Amino acid sequence: MVGGGVIQQILRRKLHSPSLATPVRSWFSSKTAHVDTGSSGVRAFALLGAGVTGLLSFSTVASADEAEHGLACPDYPWPHDGILSSYDHASIRRGHQVYQQVCASCHSMSLISYRDLVGVAYTEEEAKAMAAEIEVVDGPNDEGEMFTRPGKLSDRLPQPYANESAARFANGGAYPPDLSLITKARHNGQNYVFALLTGYRDPPAGISIREGLHYNPYFPGGAIAMPKMLNDEAVEYEDGVPATEAQMGKDVVSFLSWAAEPEMEERKLMGFKWIFLLSLALLQAAYYRRLKWSVLKSRKLVLDVVN
Amino acid sequence: MFHPTIWCDSDDYRADVEVVDPKKCLEESCKPKCVKPLLEYQACVKRVQGDESGHKHCTGQYFDYWQCVDKCVGPKLFAELKW
Repeated sequence: MVGGGVIQQILRRKLHSPSLATPVRSWFSSKTAHVDTGSSGVRAFALLGAGVTGLLSFSTVASADEAEHGLACPDYPWPHDGILSSYDHASIRRGHQVYQQVCASCHSMSLISYRDLVGVAYTEEEAKAMAAEIEVVDGPNDEGEMFTRPGKLSDRLPQPYANESAARFANGGAYPPDLSLITKARHNGQNYVFALLTGYRDPPAGISIREGLHYNPYFPGGAIAMPKMLNDEAVEYEDGVPATEAQMGKDVVSFLSWAAEPEMEERKLMGFKWIFLLSLALLQAAYYRRLKWSVLKSRKLVLDVVN
Repeated sequence: MFHPTIWCDSDDYRADVEVVDPKKCLEESCKPKCVKPLLEYQACVKRVQGDESGHKHCTGQYFDYWQCVDKCVGPKLFAELKW
């Protein structure tokens, strides 16, 4: 679009210069003072015309870009947003339950181990019991064969598909991304994922989505392969909290935020502590520097003319 | 004044009734605030209905309306959820 505007500008200059050559010359002979204003006035008009053309063409492209970038998601007031705010661990626990029952059939979280959940969402016994429910391929044994065994705390969360090709084949060519880092891997990740999960709506008039895809205004392009997964009471929470779509969305995003940034609480504590201490150190350093430099800063130089 | 916070509350007193999703509920209550973009969208829908070329669509007006609703719902939603 910028290139288009520049080309327009050059064309206008070329178009204007021969036709206005004579009046400029006559202006030059009669009133030298007015030449600059006259030609600059013409130039200003040409630039304005070029600008308007550029802007107009830009606006027609912008409307096609709207769906391309997706609807901007709002900022939700996450409980863990503050400078010293921790995660809501009850929410992380519920969110893990939502992940396990709703999302794990298609999305892997291959960077999280069962032991990571201990002390965050589950006790050690609970996590061990959860891990023991899955079968893990291990080996080779002494006979050189691979064998399956129940899971342990050190095992990663199970993957629904063996590899990306299998995942794509099972999902019409689309790959359900790994969710371990998803809130860091998308712009404004937490708000985006929440808006996406709870934002399935009917498409606007004039937009039709092909069979196999679904409309979601927050998804870039608007057509997403994932169907609406969060429906009221799809999950029965252990702690009895009513599992509305928004509640499940919030809990699962809390879980995903923790999964992407498990160090957040420690990081905030460290940050607060060290920023405070370094500010004190800054004050001390500033005082010390001024103390040492005071000798030079307070000296007087006398210029005496040598006879 | 009309308080959507009470209306969209999904607390115990509704336990025997079907759960109400607070987000949908708040979006309904925010509709009056966003009447202008909604009317623009509806006007666009009328224009598009008569279109045979298949190129016309109302994404712009749709986005304007939902952006308005989202701005209204955003600060209020989490107060209705358990945390």
